[in-house]
Amino acid sequence: MFRERFSYAPFVWPFVIGLIFFLCFFVAAIVRVFKELPQSDKIKFGKSLFTKQTLVSIKEIFMECLLHRRIFQRDPLLGFMHMSIAFGWFMIIVLGHIEVKLYCPNHLNLPYFPIFFRYFVKQTDSTLGGAIFFFLMDFFLLMVLIGIGIAIYKRINSRIVGMRRTTRLKIYDWLALYSLWSIFPLRLLAESFTSSISGGSFLTRGFGLLFDSFVSNSVHVVPTWWAYSTALGVFFIAMPFSRYMHILTEPFLILLRNAGIRTVRHGQGYALTETFACSRCGICLDPCQMVLPGRMDKKATVYFISNLRYNHMETAREMAEMCMQCGRCVAACPVGIDSCRLKLSVKTDNQMGQGDTYLQYLNPASDALPAEIQPVVRQMPEKPDVVYFAGCMSHLTPAIPRAMQTLFKAAGIRYRYLDENGSVCCGRPLMLAGQEEAARQLIAKNTELIVKSGAQTLVTSCPICYRVFTEEYKLPIRVVHHTVFIRDLIAAGKLSTEPVQERVTYHDPCDLGRGSGIYEAPREILKDMAVLQRAYEEKDQALCCGGSLGSNLMPYETRRKIAADAFNRLTFRNPDVLVTACPLCKKTFQDVADRPVLDIAQYVATHLRAQKADAAPVEETPYRAAV
Amino acid sequence: MDTSSQRHVVVIGAGIAGMEASAQLQGLGYAVTLLEEQPQTGGNLLTWDRLFPFKRPASEVLGELRSRLGGIHVLTSRRILNIEKLNAQFILTVNDGTVLTADAVLVATGFKPFDAYRKEEYGYGIYDNVFTSVDIERMFREERRILTRSGEVPRRVGFIHCVGSRDEKAGNRYCSKVCCVTAVKQASELKEMYPDCEVFCFYMDLRMFDRHYEQMYLDAQTRYGVTFVRGRLSEAAETIDKRIAIKVEDTLVGKPMKMTVDMLVLMVGMEGRTTQLYNSPTLGLSVGKDRFLNAVDEYTDNNLSRTEGVFLAGTCTGPKHIPEVLADAGAAALRIHRYLCQKA
Repeated sequence: MFRERFSYAPFVWPFVIGLIFFLCFFVAAIVRVFKELPQSDKIKFGKSLFTKQTLVSIKEIFMECLLHRRIFQRDPLLGFMHMSIAFGWFMIIVLGHIEVKLYCPNHLNLPYFPIFFRYFVKQTDSTLGGAIFFFLMDFFLLMVLIGIGIAIYKRINSRIVGMRRTTRLKIYDWLALYSLWSIFPLRLLAESFTSSISGGSFLTRGFGLLFDSFVSNSVHVVPTWWAYSTALGVFFIAMPFSRYMHILTEPFLILLRNAGIRTVRHGQGYALTETFACSRCGICLDPCQMVLPGRMDKKATVYFISNLRYNHMETAREMAEMCMQCGRCVAACPVGIDSCRLKLSVKTDNQMGQGDTYLQYLNPASDALPAEIQPVVRQMPEKPDVVYFAGCMSHLTPAIPRAMQTLFKAAGIRYRYLDENGSVCCGRPLMLAGQEEAARQLIAKNTELIVKSGAQTLVTSCPICYRVFTEEYKLPIRVVHHTVFIRDLIAAGKLSTEPVQERVTYHDPCDLGRGSGIYEAPREILKDMAVLQRAYEEKDQALCCGGSLGSNLMPYETRRKIAADAFNRLTFRNPDVLVTACPLCKKTFQDVADRPVLDIAQYVATHLRAQKADAAPVEETPYRAAV
Repeated sequence: MDTSSQRHVVVIGAGIAGMEASAQLQGLGYAVTLLEEQPQTGGNLLTWDRLFPFKRPASEVLGELRSRLGGIHVLTSRRILNIEKLNAQFILTVNDGTVLTADAVLVATGFKPFDAYRKEEYGYGIYDNVFTSVDIERMFREERRILTRSGEVPRRVGFIHCVGSRDEKAGNRYCSKVCCVTAVKQASELKEMYPDCEVFCFYMDLRMFDRHYEQMYLDAQTRYGVTFVRGRLSEAAETIDKRIAIKVEDTLVGKPMKMTVDMLVLMVGMEGRTTQLYNSPTLGLSVGKDRFLNAVDEYTDNNLSRTEGVFLAGTCTGPKHIPEVLADAGAAALRIHRYLCQKA
């Protein structure tokens, strides 16, 4: 038994105006993003539609945008809060439309009709179908209300959802936030006051009866519907200027990302979508070591993206220069925004077209010196198995290349040490400085050197070089970081180590771990050698050592603070040795360490099992860390 | 003098500051106990061969200071386990079970040389022929000559100034004062020993701050032929023949340069010692960010700690050369005297 009471009421206007305004904005934004995508990306996107990839994207949209799986993994209550608001609201919209389709199939379905359905249609809750609908609508409304309740409490005490800090909001965010908070309580009021006419379930009916006992419901029906519509309208109008733009941008971002599209330039195309998809949830605040212990609260990624969005480019640029690019925020981001790439794009933009003095520096200055003081060059094998590239940072930690040479000899590997006499660079500093042409030349030169060697494997000691060699070079040979190389040598029986009665903790370097996904190789090596103690924050949660080359502005005092804090957190189980796999991490930690900090190559080289008599003699690799 | 009425002062650390202060205090009529962690008195001076500016043997200076210790209760190889304060008296427990009571305590714990392993890029402890200024003094003292690790006479030696001093990355922003003039001294001594050896000093600034130093610098250039290059070492690598290939930018010419040397000498700076004593709540010492001790007032009360009855002398409050340390030790003795007179 249902009957349409009205099909229009003046209170729908705030909602309709808000919705139209928002939709116009959203469509225009999507058109702009598509226009700005490079041609190749447009093709990529076209090709990705209606494929298996689309199903994957739809699943991801459901899991992330509605259920918020990643936030659940971080903190169940925070996940529940996001899920109950997003999923509950989504279900109310879906059920609303189904109701309209079921009960008023002939109705011209204007967008406001399902929203204010209870006002327009009198329906019975005494049939099974009606009762189920009323129940479901009330159920999801309750779900949203609980979510809103947690959200309000989170503003008072964010620790309850596992967050030490929450984002400082902008004025539009507050406007949208307050209207969002008020939408659902107002809907509850409006439906409760209307429940004696249009029916209701456990929530609306119950509240309706309760209110009836001390107020005359009929007087409040129209004003509360007005208030509900107004809250919706205000929310929609504030949405494009607030963080809530992420609600509809995130699904779109997922589609683009799964098509293989990435940031090219900030403020355009994919980058613009990322900027709008940031919900400023503040989950990136706690992992950021610039915030704690660095005490640079305003430098966190959430504010960087906010500055990009509101076009405060000077501030955004400074923040990009300050950031150490460790990627902890990227690993934590529930939306999957690659903010490191965004920052790099801002930095590149800043330094585009500055002179190319770097290559001139590469010319050996020793030409002018007499021949007798030229360094003696080691005789290199004609056809090496391996080209070894230590990298410039490893030259500042000579114990690492030395250990690698010990290991090569012990395993009987013919190697060529490509940058033994320095002055060969992987190209990363040039790229960071935005000197792309110079980097391209250098890459071509290095590729030639590497290919000419005839080796089948390139081994590098530096995770930064490793990443550049795998991502920017198109080398026809295998590229490995020495962690993987040593692991393979041990597995193949070419190296064997002694058991060590020591407790060891392994630190994942940013570029090797989050950057290249190498987590297991070093652990496999260490597990077999000593007692491997897990760090509290490891793998993709690993800390930044504070020595990053990513930042140009970070003061040394802050770096030391970050390094000391990271070292303390890493050694909380009191291991005898901290082992890492990056020259920069090693060097940074050594300055604040109270126990040895070693590269994994050093650790293996120090604890090699004595070789058979006919094997090559093993060079001693002494180590001692600053204590 | 009747010992029972005599006031007792404990001096912690028998380096030159501790020795000098003890002698002065005894001269003022106090009973003095001088505590030393090491088996003999002398502190860092024990590790030195000859001293700038006149190349006077360190042993002579040490002998002179030791000769003044008569009547002083010197306890070596002792560590303080605990310090308590009862009324105005300090009660010190020493690791041999002795308990000392003191009316005043003088902290003269001195400095330690910068640990060159921490500048790994310079290869100390990794490359055979990288040495510190302390190693060079040891060679002068014990072997009377300077040889490479393989026992050859060096043909080219590079001295690197400011290792662990004025170095933000090493966490030491301060200047250690004495290393510049030590480098000038050691470079000159080396040239004196091997006139054919090429000697280069790579410096940031040459801080020839005291009397006679500028003359030493002039002599190093004109008489001995030491070459001074303004620039900081960026990288050191070992060549196959165990020499050290270094990269430096000559900042006066504005050009990067490469050079191979037979020996590299790192001029290590001074660092605060941060011993367990620094954490003693009874002493209540205030340790600065640079790990040297803070006096109550660095202008007018440089020997006073923030705790009544606890005094400071020598390089525990910052880098100093020998005459400064001795003057500081004398001043500290007088401050203790004034304090004990006022209390009486």
